[in-house]
Amino acid sequence: MSRQWIQLPERGTSTALGLIAWIGIRLGRRAGRLLLYPITLYFLLTAATARRASRAFLRQVLGREPGYRHIFRHLHCFAATILDRVYLLTGQTERFDIRIHGGQIVFDQIASGRGCILLGSHLGSFEVLRVLGVTLHRFPLKVLMNIDHNQAITRFINALNPEIAATIIPIRGPETLLKARESLEEGCLIGTLGDRVVANDRITHCRFLGRQTSFPAGPMLLAALLRCPVILAVALYRGGNRYEIYFERLADRVVLDRCQRQADIQYWTQQYVDRLEYYVRNDPYNWFNFYDYWQEDRA
Amino acid sequence: MAVLSPLELEVARLIISTLNLEGITPEDIDPEAPLFGDGLGLDSIDALELALAISNSYGFQLRSDDTENARIFASLRALSQHIEQRRSR
Repeated sequence: MSRQWIQLPERGTSTALGLIAWIGIRLGRRAGRLLLYPITLYFLLTAATARRASRAFLRQVLGREPGYRHIFRHLHCFAATILDRVYLLTGQTERFDIRIHGGQIVFDQIASGRGCILLGSHLGSFEVLRVLGVTLHRFPLKVLMNIDHNQAITRFINALNPEIAATIIPIRGPETLLKARESLEEGCLIGTLGDRVVANDRITHCRFLGRQTSFPAGPMLLAALLRCPVILAVALYRGGNRYEIYFERLADRVVLDRCQRQADIQYWTQQYVDRLEYYVRNDPYNWFNFYDYWQEDRA
Repeated sequence: MAVLSPLELEVARLIISTLNLEGITPEDIDPEAPLFGDGLGLDSIDALELALAISNSYGFQLRSDDTENARIFASLRALSQHIEQRRSR
């Protein structure tokens, strides 16, 4: 799949992050939210890659040609969550109306003392989930993060919330998943995002919004090797100061048959993708993968 | 072709069978070449599978916080030496 996101959205995101974070801190949320309109307009006009990606995605999910107002709404939704990140990372969760569905699934898992994979995505704001979990509910959460590809974001998190930064397991070198295993054995939830392929990731092909594309095979492989359950986590931005978090149990155990390992990984990953598609259809403007998602189709 | 010690041969076989490396024989593995990235080209999922297999076969755990990790994972030879030192069976 597309490897260009490593350069493009990171560059775009770091510009957006820097600008929006500065505004958020200096001017406050009210002024920040007003300024999101011209900022979004600026990105709509100048960020050609993001605009094209948004249009292609919205066309796929809406089933018709999206207009500029749809693309604007899409970019604006993303920008709004970036602004809110500033307040979330500085612990101002009381500003937000956050509703949690299926929270008992996670609490039960934590109470069992057994770890699990908490499988998220770039749909909505993983930050809400992370901050709420770690700072408010003291979730034992560790997040696998590709910090070498996200240096701007990592610096940003470090600066605003060292406690959150301490929960990151950097994806780097052979010992990465040994760390994940050790954390899991301590009863931690291992957070990872399952919807974006990074260079050299193992992939599997799944059907998403009616078209085949590649997804990382890593999360389900990890769950199989560590013999742990997989819980889906989605945190959607609902406008204003409202967020909704959904947890679903995706798998109690991921068992891979050695003879048909690829097919089994595909099966389990498709279970995730199907639920992702459900939430994407529920709220397409929360889709924050601004690159050519089905690129491989044309190859 | 480099000569493998008996333990290196055994570890090479463990790597090949655990990771399902088709078309590779123990003799194909250069004992001094990197296992990860270049060389054999293993990734972090392979490392985890290998660590699980090593703990089953040799009765000790590879740990992420071992300061020697860069050396341990450097090659088949280095990994075998580490196993020799740490094995409990």
